[in-house]
Amino acid sequence: MIEVVEHTADIRLRISGASIEELFRDALRGTMQLLRPDLDERSVQREIAVEAADRTTLLIDFLNEALSHAHVHREAYDDAVFTTLTETRVVAQLHGREARAFGDDVKAVTYHEAEIRQPRPAEAGPHIWSVTIVYDI
Amino acid sequence: MQKSALHKIHDWLWEIPKSTRSDMRVPARVYATEEMLDAIVRDRSLDQLVNVATLPGIRGWAVAMPDVHEGYGFPIGGIAAVDLDEGVISPGGIGYDINCGVRLLRSHQTASAMAPSLPTLVHSVAREIPSGVGRGGPLRLNKHDLDLVLGGGAARAVESGYGEEGDLERIESRGTLEGADPAAVSDHAHDRGSDQLGTIGSGNHFVEIDRVAMVFDTVAAQQLGLEQERVVILIHTGSRGLGHQVATDFLKRMVGSMHRYGITIPDRELACAPFRSPEGQQYFHAMAAAANFAFANRQVITAGIRRAWKHEFGADGDLEMVYDVAHNVAKVERHEIGEVLVHRKGATRAFLGQPVLIPGSMGTASYVLMGQSGAMEQSFGSSCHGAGRVMSRTRARHEIDATELRARLKNGGIVVEAGSAKGLVEEAPEAYKDIDAVVDIVDRAGIAKKVARLVPIGVIKG
Repeated sequence: MIEVVEHTADIRLRISGASIEELFRDALRGTMQLLRPDLDERSVQREIAVEAADRTTLLIDFLNEALSHAHVHREAYDDAVFTTLTETRVVAQLHGREARAFGDDVKAVTYHEAEIRQPRPAEAGPHIWSVTIVYDI
Repeated sequence: MQKSALHKIHDWLWEIPKSTRSDMRVPARVYATEEMLDAIVRDRSLDQLVNVATLPGIRGWAVAMPDVHEGYGFPIGGIAAVDLDEGVISPGGIGYDINCGVRLLRSHQTASAMAPSLPTLVHSVAREIPSGVGRGGPLRLNKHDLDLVLGGGAARAVESGYGEEGDLERIESRGTLEGADPAAVSDHAHDRGSDQLGTIGSGNHFVEIDRVAMVFDTVAAQQLGLEQERVVILIHTGSRGLGHQVATDFLKRMVGSMHRYGITIPDRELACAPFRSPEGQQYFHAMAAAANFAFANRQVITAGIRRAWKHEFGADGDLEMVYDVAHNVAKVERHEIGEVLVHRKGATRAFLGQPVLIPGSMGTASYVLMGQSGAMEQSFGSSCHGAGRVMSRTRARHEIDATELRARLKNGGIVVEAGSAKGLVEEAPEAYKDIDAVVDIVDRAGIAKKVARLVPIGVIKG
């Protein structure tokens, strides 16, 4: 789930998911939506691999890597298939489409305020992972 | 941060004592009236400023200018001077848009004389200067040519035919930061920048045609070739995707290396490395290269505007450089406390006698100031950089109607070309602080004196 939260100058998104994979995937979608891509029909795939010291840093580095590819190759990704997703390493195949242009610029995904939160206790219902991300736009 | 945590020093200066938080190494100071402060404490600007005051090696004060607002890591409008031997360099203290800055050109036209040409001219400038967002611009540089830009900055652009040698005299650091190393810039950053020279980007970046609406200091204005009703052009942009990627690359690297230097910080976005360390030096060299890309970008944009102006006005279409200054950069400078690395994140260098360019929002005003001795004594030679946002982009989109805004600007005599209605409303005047009040503070504090007030008549936004 992707929610927009107020930020004076930039964009703040709150992402939540039933699993870490879903959290990473929705964070990817949220990031790409901010670019407001004018999509072409041609589909694309791109594999990325990122390592980091912890899970939150891994998510931000993963999103920045995807953002770099989006800018360089003019592509927007709406899905990811994870072949590896541990606390410190992610290997994923990004799926999306070519973009004729982007409506907005996203300079970067920041570490500011980002902290992947632990699942709620089982008795609270489905495990929900969440993170707040601030984007520089 | 509660307002009660701040001590009043002057009507325009407040201090957060070092004792406020145990990890603060220096006090934090904010330039604001009490009314402004009431607004500033509503977001996290001052908490972020206190975080800056914890950086290893910080000297004097962490400083916030009156246009301060919440950012990420550093607040926007923040300044920090750090010791070269014991201090750190933090990419978050410069921001992702390395050498975002402002350039001012002056024309030979007056506003009333050029009024009939204005719509055509705004359209011509918009055609010459693409936003480049997700499309790129007309230039595509191979790695060799891009590296020449990263090393040479505006001088390389002039060598390539985009301007005149005399332009360089009126650019901060003559448009080329020393120590730039293209080899420190990643392949990703090269790729992101390869087709972005000569583009303004989106967000709050713009090209604006202004008239000099008021002159406060006739002598200083004459020195800069400014007079009442003269038409001038403001360019506000930076290092585009290349700079964004340099910051991303080095933040990632420093997040991973801080533990080796025993550095702990309250916000990962303040990730840093000792200035003398390999990571610190490589970032400094890469940042300088990205800053040079930004100087070259504003030089190539200038050439496009000059083409449009020449096309419209022929022999009377010369545009002369007034000044070009950065507001997102770190530089080694000598101040009263010795030689330090000054981080400016949304703060303009304001050395004594130096022009200081303060862009406002598209419907209000911008200012030309001149640095004063107070800047050297109080703020490490720095001033404010703009009006400063008060309304989120989300709220602006909900509350402001694009059609009404266009009509309002038109009624105010402002011709607008914007890439999107969304981009237009997000930058509406009411999304910003009162720039007159912001500039009054730095003037009263002796940081920079008012020279001229500029009012927009044409706006080109990405």
